[in-house]
Amino acid sequence: MKKLLLIIALFCINIPFLYSQTVGLEIGNTAPDIRLPDLKGAPVSLSAFKGKVVLIDFWASWCAPCVKEQPKLAELYKQYKGSVFNNGKGFEIYGVSLDNKKAEWESSIKKMNINWIQVSDLKFWTSPVAKTYNIQALPFNVLIDGKGIILAKNLHGNELDQFLRNLLQS
Amino acid sequence: MKKTKIIILSLFALAYIATAFQSVSAQNSNEPWTQQQLLAPAALAKTINNPKSAQPIIYCVGPQAVIKNSIEVGSAQVPANLSNFKQQISRLPKNANIVIYCGCCPFEVCPNVRPAVNLLKEMKFTNFKLLNLPHNIKADWIDSGYPVSE
Repeated sequence: MKKLLLIIALFCINIPFLYSQTVGLEIGNTAPDIRLPDLKGAPVSLSAFKGKVVLIDFWASWCAPCVKEQPKLAELYKQYKGSVFNNGKGFEIYGVSLDNKKAEWESSIKKMNINWIQVSDLKFWTSPVAKTYNIQALPFNVLIDGKGIILAKNLHGNELDQFLRNLLQS
Repeated sequence: MKKTKIIILSLFALAYIATAFQSVSAQNSNEPWTQQQLLAPAALAKTINNPKSAQPIIYCVGPQAVIKNSIEVGSAQVPANLSNFKQQISRLPKNANIVIYCGCCPFEVCPNVRPAVNLLKEMKFTNFKLLNLPHNIKADWIDSGYPVSE
């Protein structure tokens, strides 16, 4: 009887661990939340987009390969924005800029007609988010599902397109 | 006798291959800086951390001056910033101990280091170094705990 009670007790203790997802940077982990100001200074959380498939796009106006990638992202955003996926309804891009000058960040967004959410603490490579996400180089991105779980990392161009296509609900 | 001949011929062949390899390597280095002009981050960090050392004048030619005691001149790809840099260094002696860095991106795609190095060469500076940040300022400096500006 004592043994049975011990087993039940141990099982109960472990229940939260069985159902909680580890916050981390590996595929299958829950992506760490981000809460940074948008262009108007209003804080926007990544977790506010729960339910949607979200691409967290780390970029900067001073990063030439990042800027080059934006038209393709615009194309994918238009294509998948209203799509229903196996693990999320709708597609969003959460752009996190490592810019340090607001004017340059803003002018780049306007110049490229970026119409998805953009946030930045304007701290360049010293931004805490660069540390949290262990960013080693730009461009860098993380794709998460409707529950905030990391599906893929650093997919670009056609590879990203193909990955999103495979996630579509059939 | 035959053995000696083979050894001598082999040595000549090896020397020839080595020379050819060296010349190919030199040709591949199309950068405006030399290997001797690249300064290791650890070496600069050591100098900054030792106030008794002769301190170089450190210019950031990229988006933000992250390194302690460095002077921000703005991204050197912007002509106005390059002019600003030119104005600042024109006051210095040609043998001034200068270190420049950017650290926005890997060297291959960095738009700022080349215009800055070329300017220093054009102005005949003889004692300048480019901080060797092959990845970026975070990976090659901040993550190592080297001194950053307040």
